[in-house]
Amino acid sequence: MKTYQILLFLFLTASAFPQNLNLHSLENKKKFADHLFCEKDYLRSILEYESILQSIQNDTIKFKIGLAYQRLDEYEKSINIFNSILPNAESEFYHSLFLMNDFNLFRIKVNNNKTDANPAVQKLYLFSYFFTDDALPDWQKFSETFSEERAVESFYEKKINPGYKSEITAAILSAIIPGAGKIYTEQYGDGITAFIATGLLAYLSYSNFNHDHDFRGWLFGGAAAIFYAGNIYGSAASAKIFNAGIKMNFENELRLFLNQNNYFMPEYNFCK
Amino acid sequence: MKKLLIIIFIAALASACKSQDELQSQYNLAQELFKKREYFDAVTELKRLNFFDSTNQFSFQSCLLMGKAHKAGAMLNDAVHNFTMAGIFSRTDEEFYEAEIELIRVNILRRTSSQAHKIIDRLLLDERFISKKDELNYWKGWAYIFEDDWVNAADLFSKVSENHELTNFCDSINDQLYSATLAKLLSVFIPGAGQIYTGNYLNGIFSLGWNVFAGWLSINSFAEERIFDGLVAANFLWLRFYIGGINNAQKFAEEKNLAITNNALDYLQHKYGGLKP
Repeated sequence: MKTYQILLFLFLTASAFPQNLNLHSLENKKKFADHLFCEKDYLRSILEYESILQSIQNDTIKFKIGLAYQRLDEYEKSINIFNSILPNAESEFYHSLFLMNDFNLFRIKVNNNKTDANPAVQKLYLFSYFFTDDALPDWQKFSETFSEERAVESFYEKKINPGYKSEITAAILSAIIPGAGKIYTEQYGDGITAFIATGLLAYLSYSNFNHDHDFRGWLFGGAAAIFYAGNIYGSAASAKIFNAGIKMNFENELRLFLNQNNYFMPEYNFCK
Repeated sequence: MKKLLIIIFIAALASACKSQDELQSQYNLAQELFKKREYFDAVTELKRLNFFDSTNQFSFQSCLLMGKAHKAGAMLNDAVHNFTMAGIFSRTDEEFYEAEIELIRVNILRRTSSQAHKIIDRLLLDERFISKKDELNYWKGWAYIFEDDWVNAADLFSKVSENHELTNFCDSINDQLYSATLAKLLSVFIPGAGQIYTGNYLNGIFSLGWNVFAGWLSINSFAEERIFDGLVAANFLWLRFYIGGINNAQKFAEEKNLAITNNALDYLQHKYGGLKP
């Protein structure tokens, strides 16, 4: 009995060595490609998956290649691959299309292909309106589609009332009181500086003319005029920058939300 | 029953031996690719080897070679990771030392020389590597070269051996370098002198002439009680150019030093025959 136990132990020890000896067999290539993918070495994983496809045709492998290209931001390639395995890869096909940031094209494709049944695509479809200046669909549609995502309501409100500043108002305010346009666009330091600088230069010009120093009067007067005109233009530009900042922050919030929700895509478990 | 178990055991043992052969041939394949400078493919095959080498028999060699392949492909961060892993998987002091030296060299190359210094200092204190002191000082010297500290570099190479080729080289580079502080100070006391010190003679003479002219214009205005004119001339014609001249002197010195050190590194890369990072 003892001999059997020893032999069994030795057998189990020997069995600890890798059983499938061919490192380049299809099965091992697949395991290795998955490992590379999960290590985020997407380029190598693509090459490995592609070498498998030379031997067998497999939609799952193609799907993984598409995903790897998507992770590498090679959206056109991923779209082509997902397109070849539709309708199985429908969600990821539209996901890649969405990531290309051509939201009009994205919506045209969704409308043409009638993907009403796919909730992830529907969510992306409605979400795309937050990134464009097109009229938003009714809130009713959003509330039905995003019943579980409360943050969407605040995005919807922000899109309707973004809190932009008017460039014309900023320019007019600075024309009436130098620096007021800057203060309107929340550039308080710039506004006060512009007010003091323009006022001081105008006073120096007035004072010099009063004392018959005409050259200096014109010099300071010219400088005051340049500051005044520059401030009007600067206020309009400041409103534009302010609006761009609001838009950028809003889009960052949207991207963060999408990333946190994995663009509404399902989780794939081959990396677990 | 006993015979059957023996047969199974022999079969399993044969399988294990074949596995090892397979891993060895995989390592050989990676080495071949590395020798042919096909670094991307070499890394792929080494990653494959690591993935299937469940008992870590080849982990040290494969991590070390992967680090070298990444280093050759200028992927220095990946190389640092691989050499660190090679150190972890080392089985002997010699293997550990080899991995650490590679780590030092790649840290010098990617200009994280503080990290290189840390590793060298740690090894210098390690009794196992007491005989490697000269080699460690040699790499410390290289770390100083990449920090532009030619004085300390020369000092360390002189510790490696008397009249070491790199000692004289570092000393000569140090002699050629300009002092940016001296250039600035010269221009503070005599406008244009800093530029002349760095070899920009025309710029220096022009700077001196302009400062004399603008200075005279300002002082003359004040002397004739034309205060406003004096302020304008002093501010826009004199002080601006005076301060600009000081900054120029510093910039010229730094540019010259950069050219000197670049030439030095170029020489070391292409003409120096000894070991390089």
